[in-house]
Amino acid sequence: MTENEGSNNQKSGADYVRAMFAAMITARVLENKLSSLYKAGKIVGGVYLGKGQEAVSAALGAALIPGKDIFAPLIRDQAGRTAFGEPLIDCARAYLGSALGPMRGRDGNIHRGRPLEGMLAMISHLGSAVSVVAGALFAKRLKGELLGCVGATCVGDGATSTGAFHEGLNLAAVEKLPLIVIIADNQFAYSTPTSSQYACHDLVDRAKGYGVAGHSVDGTDFLACAAVIGDAVKRARDGDGPQLIVAKLLRLSGHGEHDDGSYVPAEIKQSHYGRDCLDVAEMQLLEYGILTKEVIASMREIAATDVQAAVAQAQQEPTPDPYQEVWHAWSTERFYSENS
Amino acid sequence: MSVTYIDAIREAQEHLLRDDPRVFLYGQDIAAFGGAFKATKGLSEMFPGRVIDAPISEDAMAGMAIGAALEGMRPIVEMQFADFSSIAFNQIVNHAATHFYRTGMPVPITMRLPSGGTAGSGPFHSQSMETIYAHYPGVVVVTPATVADAYSMLIESVKLDDPVIYCEHKFLYRWLKAQSFKGDGLPIGQARITRMGRHATVVTYSAMVHEAVRAAERLQQESGWEIEVVDLRSVKPLDIDTVLASVARTGRLLALGEAFPWGGVTAEVVARVVADGFHLLEAPPMRLNARDTPVPYHPKLWAAHRPTPESICDSLRKLLSY
Amino acid sequence: MPRVAIIMPQLGESIAEATVVRLLVKPGDAVLTDQEVIEVETNKATMGVTALCSGILEELRAEEGVSYTVGTILGILEVTEEEVTRTGVDTIEALEAKFLQSATEESQQKGEQNLHFAVDGDGYEEAAPPQIVPTVKGLSVPTGTMGAHYISPRMRARMDEMGLREADLSAIVGSGAGGRVTVDDLERFLDYIQTWPSSNASPMRLAVADAMRRSWTRPLATVGTSVGLDLLLNHRREQTKKPGLTLYLLRAFAIALTEQPAVAGFLIGAKVVHPRSFDIGVAVAVEDGVLVPVIRKVNEKSLSELVQEYDDLVDRARRRRLTEADTKGGIATVTNFGTFGLTWGTPIPLPNETLILGIGAGVKKPVWSERLSAFYPATEADLEMTFDHRVVDGGGAGLLLRRIVDLLQKPVDL
Repeated sequence: MTENEGSNNQKSGADYVRAMFAAMITARVLENKLSSLYKAGKIVGGVYLGKGQEAVSAALGAALIPGKDIFAPLIRDQAGRTAFGEPLIDCARAYLGSALGPMRGRDGNIHRGRPLEGMLAMISHLGSAVSVVAGALFAKRLKGELLGCVGATCVGDGATSTGAFHEGLNLAAVEKLPLIVIIADNQFAYSTPTSSQYACHDLVDRAKGYGVAGHSVDGTDFLACAAVIGDAVKRARDGDGPQLIVAKLLRLSGHGEHDDGSYVPAEIKQSHYGRDCLDVAEMQLLEYGILTKEVIASMREIAATDVQAAVAQAQQEPTPDPYQEVWHAWSTERFYSENS
Repeated sequence: MSVTYIDAIREAQEHLLRDDPRVFLYGQDIAAFGGAFKATKGLSEMFPGRVIDAPISEDAMAGMAIGAALEGMRPIVEMQFADFSSIAFNQIVNHAATHFYRTGMPVPITMRLPSGGTAGSGPFHSQSMETIYAHYPGVVVVTPATVADAYSMLIESVKLDDPVIYCEHKFLYRWLKAQSFKGDGLPIGQARITRMGRHATVVTYSAMVHEAVRAAERLQQESGWEIEVVDLRSVKPLDIDTVLASVARTGRLLALGEAFPWGGVTAEVVARVVADGFHLLEAPPMRLNARDTPVPYHPKLWAAHRPTPESICDSLRKLLSY
Repeated sequence: MPRVAIIMPQLGESIAEATVVRLLVKPGDAVLTDQEVIEVETNKATMGVTALCSGILEELRAEEGVSYTVGTILGILEVTEEEVTRTGVDTIEALEAKFLQSATEESQQKGEQNLHFAVDGDGYEEAAPPQIVPTVKGLSVPTGTMGAHYISPRMRARMDEMGLREADLSAIVGSGAGGRVTVDDLERFLDYIQTWPSSNASPMRLAVADAMRRSWTRPLATVGTSVGLDLLLNHRREQTKKPGLTLYLLRAFAIALTEQPAVAGFLIGAKVVHPRSFDIGVAVAVEDGVLVPVIRKVNEKSLSELVQEYDDLVDRARRRRLTEADTKGGIATVTNFGTFGLTWGTPIPLPNETLILGIGAGVKKPVWSERLSAFYPATEADLEMTFDHRVVDGGGAGLLLRRIVDLLQKPVDL
C-alpha cells in the first residue's frame, strides 16, 4: 500500500475530504475505463461498478488507517479501495487476467484483496465478511493490539436480509468490537427493489435491535458522508463499539455492466438520490474553497494518465499458464500427491 | 489409571493453550460451563479470556475464526454438534477453503465437530459430516478413532496451516479408554493398519474402526477368517497407498462408514481401489454405510440404521464366500 | 500503420451473440479512446461497443440489424505506434502472432486439454437422447461360473504372472460363488502339483499347445465319410514320380475350395475374410510336436508339378529346417493320421484357419455291388473335416467333403 503510509492517525478535516475526493475521481475514471474495456470485449467475466456510491465508499476508505485497520470492501467499493491505498494496478491486473495480479488469475475482478495487508478478498456470499472482520478485530484484542484499531465493511440493502449479516453484526455487538458496517441502501439488489427486501421503515432502526450505534446519511452528499462516516469511524476507534451506518443513495449503473438497469423507473433516476455524488462533491469543495477548478481539472488528468498506464501495463503482462499452475488448494505441501 | 477419548480432546486443548499463545477456543457454552460434552472443562479458569462463549451463530463463529486466523491466530471452534456446522457451511467451504488458493494466504482454523450417532440422539444430533467437507478442495478432514489419535491429531490440526475439520465421535467420548495419550506418532494423511489379516480388508475410520475390529474377532473365532482393518485416520487427504497395499495382500475390500450411503468416503475408497488396483481384486469391492434415511431416534431403530458388528460380519461373509 | 480490431464483446455471462442496432461512426471518422462506436442489443440490455484506443476507422464490417457472435471483428481502426504503446492494446498483428505462438506452445504440451467451454459461431444442439432399455439387472454375480470360466481381475493378474491360461485351470474344482475358481483355489492347486514329478515342456510342445488352445476357443464341429482309394492307388502306381496320398488330398481339397471358396472364409467380428490364394498346409509329425508347412497355389499346379515341392517341404519340416515364411498364410490344412495306423480322428484346424481335412489308414473292406450282385474287395479310408461352425454349417462342410470324394475318384483330373 502506498498512500497514507507512515500515518498512524485517522485523517480529518480538509486532508480527509481531499483524500476522499482524489479517490472518488480516480475510481470514477478507472471504472469508466473498465466499462469501456468490457464493451470492447477485453474483459473475461463481469464488471461491477460503484457509480453513485463513491462518496460513501471513499469516506470509509479514507477514514481507515492502512497497515493498522481491517477493510473488507464489497462489490461497489472501488473508491474505498483506492482511498485505503490499493494500487490501481491490482484492479487492472485482476480484471484483465494478468498472472502478476494479487489473485494470479485464480479469482477475478472485485474478489481481489491483500489480506496480508488488512484488505480482505471478498467472496460472493453476501454478509459473510461481517463476522470475518469481527474475527480479525477479536484477534487484535487477544493479541493486545486492538487499541486505536477499527475494522470496516460495506454491504448493500440486499445483504441485510442474509443470516450471515445478522449473525456477524450480533456477534460484533456482543463482543463490543470496533466494527463499522455501512449499508449502502442503493434501492435495488440487482433488480429487486427495497420494498421486496425489507419491511422496516428505515434499516437504521435495526441498530437499536442489535445494540449498536446507528447513523443515517445522504450518500449523495459528499460532506455529509465525510462528517457522518468519519465520525462513526472515530467513535469506533475510541471504543464506542460497533457502528451501523445506513447511507441512502441510488446505484447509477446496472448491477454489472451486462445489465443496463432499465428496470429503474425514470422518477427514481430524477429524484434527489439520482444526483451524482461526484458533481455534489465538486460543487461543495469549490463552495468551501477546499479545492479550485484548476486543481480538480489537474486531478482528473492525473487520474486519467494513471489509469491508462495501469491498464496498458496489465494488458501486456503474461496470463496464467494452466500447465504451470499448482493444482492444489492446500498450503501443506506434504499433502501434494496424485493420490491424496 | 485410564484416560478417555474426551479426556484426550480436553488435554490436547489445554496443551495447545499452554504452548501456543495464538490458540483460543470459541464455541457455545464452552467457557464456565465447560462445553456440552465437557471437552473444555476448567479451561476458561486456567486460560482467562481465551476460552470464549459464542452466540448461537455458527456462520459467524466460523467467520470470526477465519478473521482471527488471518490476523495470525490459531482458533479452535467447537460446534456443539457436527449437525449444526451446516449453518457454518458457507464460511467453511467458500471462505476458509478457497482462501489459500485464491490469495496465497492460508486460513489455519480448526473446527471441532462432535460427530456420529449415540442412542436416542435422533436426526439432528447424530450426523457424520466428513463427506460433505471432504468434497471441497482446500479442507483437511480428520476422523480420529483412538484416544492417542484424538490427542495427537488435534494438536497437529491446530499446527497445520490449512483449515481442518476435526470430526470427534461422540460415542467414543467416554466409551473408549486407554492407558495414556501416547500413540505411534503417525502424521495426518497416513492411515494405520489396526489389525492384520490376509483374507479381506475393511477400510474404515472413526468409531467404525472398533465395530470392524469386533466383527473381525468374531469371524476369526467362528471360522478362522483373518480380517485386516485399515483405519484411514484422515479422510482427506486420503492415504490410498496404505489401502491398496492392504488390498494387495487380501484381494477383498469392504469400505465401511457410519455416514449416509450416497457418495461419500466409502464410495471414494472403492472408486480409487477399482481405478488404481483393479488387478488386485478377487471379489467385487463392497460398501457398508448407514441406511439412506435420517438417523432415527429410537435406540432399536438407530442400532439397525448404522453398521454394527453383526451387519459387518454379514457383509464380510458375503465378500469371503465370493 | 498498426491496426486494432473492434470486436463484439461478451455482454453477460450467458450471452453468445448480440445484434447491431446502430452504427455511430463511419469509415474515415476519427475515433477517440473509449468512444462508443456501435450500439448493440442483447436479450438483457442495450449498450455501446467502445474503441480500445484512438485512431481512424479504416473499415466497418458490421451492419445494422445483424447479429454477430461474441468475438467477431466488427471494425478495424488505424492507429499510431505511440497510441498502441500508450494504451497497451494488442494490434491485429500482435494478436495473430500471440495466437500462433500459443498454438505452437500448446501443441508441444502433452495431451490436449479443454481449457474453457467452446463458444463457437454455430452453437451446440443437443441430440435427442437415445431410448435405452437396460438388459442386465441386479448384482454382478457371475452366472454359470463353474470352473475357470469367470476369472477375477486378481486371478487374471496372477495367471499372467505365472504364464497360465484358462485351459491350465481345467483340473481345479472351484470353491467360489457359483463354483468359480478363486485365486486361493489356484494357489492350492499350484501347491498340490508341486508334489508331482514334473519337467519343463519343450518350446515345440508349448507352441502346439498355444495354437491348439487358441483354436479351441471356437465352436468346432467334425463331419466324416468314407472314400474309396483303389482308383487313386492305381493311378499312383502308373506315375514315375509318385505323389503321396496326402498330395492327392491336397489337390482335391484345393480344387473343391476354388469352387466353394466361402467355406474357407475366416470370421472376425462382423466380417468374413476370404482366401487371397489357395495355399494349403500339410501337417508333419516331428519330435514332440507337429509342423505345418504351406504349399502355395495348390489349385494352379498339377500333381506331378507338386511332388518335388511337397517332398522338399516335408523333408525340411522333419529336419526342422523350415523358415518362418514356409508356414505362413495357409487357408486350410490336410493331415494324414493314417500314417500312424489310425483309421479315424477329429483333427483341430490351426487357430488362423477355418478348415482341416484329415484322412485315416486305408482298409480293405467287402463292398456290395448291385451290378454284380456280389461283394468285392475295395480299399477305403475315412475322411474327416473339422470346421469352425460359426463360418460353415454341416451342410456346407458336407457338400465340400462330397466334392473332395468325387474328385478323388477321378485321379487323372488331379
